Amino acid sequence: MLVVDLFVNGLIVGLFYALMAVGLAMIFGVLKIVNFAHGEFYMIGAYTYVLVALKLGVSPWAALPLAAIAGALVGWLVERSLMRPLYAGYGSWSIMKDEYAVVVTFGLSLFLINLVDKVVGPYPYRGPALVETSRFAIGPVMLNGQKLIAAGVSAALLIGLALFIKRSLWGRQIQAVAQNRLGASLAGIDATRTTSLIFAISGLLAALSGALLAPVINPSPDVGGFPAVKSYVIVVLGGMGSVWGAMIASLLLGVLESFFAVYVSYDYRDAFGLLILMLVLIFRPQGLLGEKVREL
Amino acid sequence: MFRIPLVASVAVFAAGVVFAAEPIKVGISIAQSPPGSVVQGTQVKDGLEIVKDIVNKQGGVLGRPIELVYEDNQGIPEKGRAASEKLITKDKVVAITGGHQSSVCLAEIEVAHRYGVPYVNTNCWSDDVRTKHYPEVFNPGNYNTRVSMAMAETIAAMKLKNVVAFAENTDYGIGQAKLLDKFIKEKSPGTKFRYETLDRASKDFTPAVLALRANPPDMVINIMLPPAAYILMNQLYEQGVAPTAKTWSYDGAGLADYPDFWQNVKDAGKDMICFALYHPKMNIPPLGKQVAEEYTKRAKAEPNRLIFQAADSLLLIVDAIKQAKSTDPKAIEAALRTMNFTGTRGTFKFSQEPGYTYQQWVDIPYVNYQLTAVNQPISQSHLIQGPGQPLDVSKLQKPAK
Repeated sequence: MLVVDLFVNGLIVGLFYALMAVGLAMIFGVLKIVNFAHGEFYMIGAYTYVLVALKLGVSPWAALPLAAIAGALVGWLVERSLMRPLYAGYGSWSIMKDEYAVVVTFGLSLFLINLVDKVVGPYPYRGPALVETSRFAIGPVMLNGQKLIAAGVSAALLIGLALFIKRSLWGRQIQAVAQNRLGASLAGIDATRTTSLIFAISGLLAALSGALLAPVINPSPDVGGFPAVKSYVIVVLGGMGSVWGAMIASLLLGVLESFFAVYVSYDYRDAFGLLILMLVLIFRPQGLLGEKVREL
Repeated sequence: MFRIPLVASVAVFAAGVVFAAEPIKVGISIAQSPPGSVVQGTQVKDGLEIVKDIVNKQGGVLGRPIELVYEDNQGIPEKGRAASEKLITKDKVVAITGGHQSSVCLAEIEVAHRYGVPYVNTNCWSDDVRTKHYPEVFNPGNYNTRVSMAMAETIAAMKLKNVVAFAENTDYGIGQAKLLDKFIKEKSPGTKFRYETLDRASKDFTPAVLALRANPPDMVINIMLPPAAYILMNQLYEQGVAPTAKTWSYDGAGLADYPDFWQNVKDAGKDMICFALYHPKMNIPPLGKQVAEEYTKRAKAEPNRLIFQAADSLLLIVDAIKQAKSTDPKAIEAALRTMNFTGTRGTFKFSQEPGYTYQQWVDIPYVNYQLTAVNQPISQSHLIQGPGQPLDVSKLQKPAK
C-alpha cells in the first residue's frame, strides 16, 4: 500500500511542480532567458491569497482568482518595465542579453523577497484552506482536502493551457514567436504583445500555484526559492522551452523523488533530481522533448 | 524649521534621563531577513530592547547609556562572521550577543575569540559552541545535551518502545538527534530509536511521513525550526501519523510558544507534548516578571523563552560592566567568569568544567507541557513536568483516535 501512497503523492507533487515550471519554460521558449524571479511570482500568489483571505476576510475561493490576477499583473509589469530592453530596440543591450536577464531577474527576486519581509513581516502565514476537511482516506490512501483540490485545479489548468496553446489564435501566436521571433513579426504577429501575454500567463500560473499551496506550505518571504530551483531542473529536464516536456518532467520528477526518498534515502531526495538532470544532460542534452539545435 | 529640535528636546526630557556621556556599545548579531530565522531574531530583539530601556531609564551603567548596534546576519555563517568583524573593529562594541542559530554562532565565536571580545550566546543550542573552550564565550542559554537528556528521560518515563525523530540538516538538528540517540541508549535501553534528517528548505515531507504509516512509532519527535517544522507537523497530522491514539507528537524544539505557532499549526498542535524553557506557571525572579509585564504591554502577547534569554544576555553584560567598573573586554570577561547574578530566569553561574558545560549555565530550568486544545495559550496548557520535577505521566491526555 505504501507504493500506492507514494505514487499518488508523487503525482500530486508533480502537478504542483508542473504549474510552476510551465511558465518558466514558456518564457525561455520565447525569450531564451531564465527568469530568476519566477519563484517570487509564486510567493506573490501565496501572500495575496493569504492576506486577502485572512486580513480582508474575503472567502478563500474568491481570494484564489485575486491571487492569480495579482500574479498576472506582476508578470505583465515585469515584462513591460524590465524585459523590453531585451528586444525593443536597445541594440547594444541585446548583445549582452543573457547577462542583462540574469542580473535584472536576480535583482528583482532579492528586491521582492526583502520587500515582503519588511512590509508584511518575516513570520510564516498559513493560508485558510478551501475546504474544512484536513484529512480523509480513499481506500489505503490518506489525502489532504486542500492538496486534492489544488491538484485537481492544477491538472485542469495544465490541460486548459495545453489546449489554449494548441488551438487558440493567441496560443498559435505564442508558438510562432517561440519558433522564430523575426519570422513571426514578418507574418504580422505582434511579438511584443505576445511576450507580454507570456509573462502574464507565467505570473498567473506561478501565483496560482503559490495560492493553492498556501494552506500547505506556510508561506514566508523566501517561500519561492525551493520551487523555483525545482522548476529550473524541470525546464532543463523537459527540454529548454518545451511546455509538454516540462509537464512530463514535472510528473516524472515528483513520482521518482517520492519513491527515491523512501526506498533509497530521504537525505538525498533533492540531490537525486539533480542526478537525473546530469544523466539527461550527458545522454540526451536536448532534454526529454527538446530539439537538437546547432548554432552557426 | 525649529520643529524637529524642539520635538527631540521634549522627547529627551519626557524620557526622564538625559545622558551626556558616550554610550556603551553592545553588538547584536541576529537574523533580520531571510533565509535566517527572522522569527527568532525578532523575539531576541524585543527582549534586548526591553532590557536596554530598563537599564537606560535607571541611569545606564557607569553613568553611560547602553546602545545596541544591530547587524543582520541573515542566518548565514559567513554573514555572521562579517557582522562580528564589523561590530568589533568598526563599531568598537564591548561585547557581542543575540546569537540564535548555531551555525552562525560557530562562525561568530571565531571572530570574538580572535579579538578577545566577550560573546554571550543567547540561543545557540549546539554543544560545539561550548566544546571549543573559548574563554570569551559564555552560555546562559539552552544546550543540546540538556534537551536531549530531557527528551530521553521523558521517553523513559513514558515507557515508549519505538521512537522516530525528524531533525533538520543543520548543526543544531543533527547534533541534537545524535545526542538523543546516545541518551536514549543510556536512559531507556529498551527503546528502538532512529532519526531522519530533512532539508529545512523543503516544503514537502510527505514521503518521509508516509514511510511511518504502515508501522507507526510510539512517538514522533520534532527537531526542526519553522517554517519547515510547521509543515512537518501538519503533514504528520494529515497523514494520520501523529498525534494519534497510537503515536504521540513531541516538539523538542520548543516552538509552541512562538507567536506564529497556532496560525500555522492548527489541529496538528492539539495533544502535542512540548519541551519548553518557559511556562507562565513557572516561578521566575522579580526581574523576569518585570520583563514579562513589559513585553505583554508592548506586544499584547505572552512572552516566550527567547524574550527572557535575550533579556538575560544583555543583563549579564550590563552586570559584568558594573562589577568590572570598566568597559574593557578582558575585564568584562573576567567578571562574567565569576558571575553570580539573578536575571529573569534564575541565578547565573558559569561552570568551568570542560566539555559541553564549559562556561555554561548548567542548571537551566525546563518543563514539559501538553497542548490540549487548538489555539490554546501556553498559560492554559497542561503542565506535566515542572522545573526540577519528574514527569507526571498520569497527566498526559491521549488523542481519541
